[in-house]
Amino acid sequence: MTGEQGFSLPIQVVEADGISAWLVEDQSVPVVSVAWSWAGGAALDPAGQEGTAALAAALLTEGAGSLRAIEFGDALRDQAISLNFSADRDSFEGGFRALTTALPEAVRLARLAMQEPRLDADAVERVRARSIAAARRALETPRGQAVRAFWANAYPGHSAGRPSGGTAESLAGLPVEALRAALARQVHREGLLVTASGAITPAELQALLPALFGGLPGGAPQPMAPLPAFRAFGQQVLPVASPQSAVIFGQDGLPSSDPDWEAAQVVLRILAGGGFSSRLMQSVREQRGLSYGIGAGLDLLFRHGVVIGSVATENARVAETLAVTREEWARMAAEGPTETELADAVAFLTGSMPLQFTDSRRVAETLLMLRQNGRPTDWLAGRPARLRALTQERLARVAARVLAPDGLSVVVAGQPAGL
Amino acid sequence: MTRRTALRSAAALPVATAAPPALAQPAIAPPTEQIAERPLFGAVSWTMANGLRVVLAESRRVPVVSHYLFYGAGAGEDPAGRSGTAHFLEHMMFKGSRNVAPGALSLAVAREGGQDNAFTSRDVTAYYQTVEASRLPLVMRMEADRFAYPLLPEATLEPERAVILEERNQRTSSNPRGRFWEGFEAAMWGPQHWHGRPLIGWEDEIRAITLGDLRGFHEQRYAPANAVLVVTGDAREAEVRKLAEEFYGVVPARPFTARQRAEPVPAAAEPRFVQHDPAVREASFMRSAMAPSLTWGETRHAWPLEVLAHLLGSGSGSRLHKALVETGLATSASASYDSETVGPGSFSVSATARQDVAPERLEAAVDAALAALLQDGPSEAEVIRSIRQLTAGAVLSLDGIGAAPRMLGGVLAIGLPLELVEFWPRYLKAVTRDQVTAAARAVLGQPAGTTGWLLPGAPA
Repeated sequence: MTGEQGFSLPIQVVEADGISAWLVEDQSVPVVSVAWSWAGGAALDPAGQEGTAALAAALLTEGAGSLRAIEFGDALRDQAISLNFSADRDSFEGGFRALTTALPEAVRLARLAMQEPRLDADAVERVRARSIAAARRALETPRGQAVRAFWANAYPGHSAGRPSGGTAESLAGLPVEALRAALARQVHREGLLVTASGAITPAELQALLPALFGGLPGGAPQPMAPLPAFRAFGQQVLPVASPQSAVIFGQDGLPSSDPDWEAAQVVLRILAGGGFSSRLMQSVREQRGLSYGIGAGLDLLFRHGVVIGSVATENARVAETLAVTREEWARMAAEGPTETELADAVAFLTGSMPLQFTDSRRVAETLLMLRQNGRPTDWLAGRPARLRALTQERLARVAARVLAPDGLSVVVAGQPAGL
Repeated sequence: MTRRTALRSAAALPVATAAPPALAQPAIAPPTEQIAERPLFGAVSWTMANGLRVVLAESRRVPVVSHYLFYGAGAGEDPAGRSGTAHFLEHMMFKGSRNVAPGALSLAVAREGGQDNAFTSRDVTAYYQTVEASRLPLVMRMEADRFAYPLLPEATLEPERAVILEERNQRTSSNPRGRFWEGFEAAMWGPQHWHGRPLIGWEDEIRAITLGDLRGFHEQRYAPANAVLVVTGDAREAEVRKLAEEFYGVVPARPFTARQRAEPVPAAAEPRFVQHDPAVREASFMRSAMAPSLTWGETRHAWPLEVLAHLLGSGSGSRLHKALVETGLATSASASYDSETVGPGSFSVSATARQDVAPERLEAAVDAALAALLQDGPSEAEVIRSIRQLTAGAVLSLDGIGAAPRMLGGVLAIGLPLELVEFWPRYLKAVTRDQVTAAARAVLGQPAGTTGWLLPGAPA
């Protein structure tokens, strides 16, 4: 499977009422997953009102139509339907997974949630309190504080630098009108991306689209403010009482449309990717026992990749861990990977493709991500060949272009010695 | 998946696992009228000459196979004063074996596009790989090699100990909820009771573990007759039988030390556990009671307790949600119970207080909700709805490759029968309102438990 036999995920495109959906049909288990999204999400939150879109999204499943929150929740759970809405930094997403026998009910409830959310006062207060508690809890650990500071430093004054779930302060003051306004500027017929996977035929999906989305207001969601340039901010230490420091490190990456995108993914896998095989894991964990784990990769926002990584280590060994990390960063930037590393990484990335498409929800979400990044339907099918065409010279060039060992931005939360 | 497959696997019930005699039968006999129900995974099972139990659940949905080796030994089997031994050994099993260089297993699996890892729970230690279907022989060969002949090289002991201490720091020491949970369990069961020790081990005991401890654990517990091999996905029975013989058939049979879990203490070591932590921002409540499981005590209460946990604390229609969240006392509330454990388990309720709510008020509301339930029992409608919601999604575990091996291995490696996995909805559907009431009174009506609070602010 490492490529020779190829891997195929046949994607069909279905259209109805001007809405297109990508489908991977699989009749082997009587389950259907549908996912959809609009650009926007937290990016449309007014300054000082962080978390508006996220709170509005959470409230869609807390009562709709004639069903109050408990009734709506029971209607979902009686048929084991998981229906969720969420607002990310740059998108507003919905989706469900349901048994085929529960599909009509899932469609009915999802439609009701999008078109007739109740936003009852008691539900708003309950979900607000839960969201505030979650926002506060996120800062209970050194890691939570470091992540928060990293993005705030990298994108000051932009929604990408603020927590998409909001802060205790911003959530406390949100009036219900702000939640209604967030839904009004977001949930439209245009700009909608839809994907589906599982036991559903193209004709059935075609009939489902108007049942689910028909009746949404016309027009497109409000556009997002573009992502500013990543601000390299050097090193910041957040004093937190803890025996171990949490470290978040990163740098600017490249747009997902960049011709070097996949080459950069391979370079980063070799340097810092999953499992035990990366250079950082070998140097930091296996050879020196500095940490339980270290990893980094491309985080996508606004179709732009930011390299972000994390590691946690005893306060006394933070300096050594960072030095090793920077050395590996610099070595990769200077030399690129070896031929063997390239071959191993490509073998993994091509060979592991079937493992990524083993459940309907994940298939639908992966398809959605491809659409959000503007990929064509044959992107996955062509990926093994594109990866196998990568040469050591190309990767060395991309490593030198992308990696900035002297420009790493670092947040350390803890009581690190000697920084 | 035919009825025949189900009956065949029923005929292959455990002779190999180290199950106490009480476990030889299902805790609740399945109602006969439902016998024609389809088994969830349609697994087949057999036992090899060296005692290794093998389970295969075929699924041709994707050309992928999962290969899990479960040992019937976990952190609950850590020697006295050496908590963390099972977990430490799990780490050291990646340091090579007679025919596989240190670290080579993970690298080889990655090169083939696969994933590998391992986990240690209180009851089992499991090693697994997920690979494209034709790579099954490769992972079987390497796993069988470290089963029989791990190197456990001395030179890697100290660096790995440092890694584990960092893992402990990451999971527990730098997380106020991790710190609280560890303290709570120790308060309830006692810090040296097998249920009161952290799975990863106490820090001073991790530091004290020797290579001899690890070798001893491997020798005493990692025997074929104390292990379960689970293969799920795109593999045929004839092929798996042949490969299992080829690779695992050569692992020598040897005696092993069966689990001997101590009885729980008659009363909680500390009935009240309050911890102030400056890092904490949300006050949290936790009450836990010792409870029977499917392997210990009044096993007839086990399935009714699953129903009880749902109607008490699962979702917006549950009693605790109505009593605590709807009333504005808490931001969340839940109940939890796991019947599939070795020895006594625990039934817990927890809640996070709203900012402006005094802990005493929340606790009084929990007391009142539990007292009402113990007094009158749940309504028929609550029981029916809970059973419906618990079982409605049973088939969803076929949508994906992760659930089957974990459910099958987790149950078989603690000596419970395959039917518990294949037909689990049946056991829940047989639960009655009276049984839930009786189980609630047996578990929540007795004092042997601990009530705890994690509170913001400096320790008093």
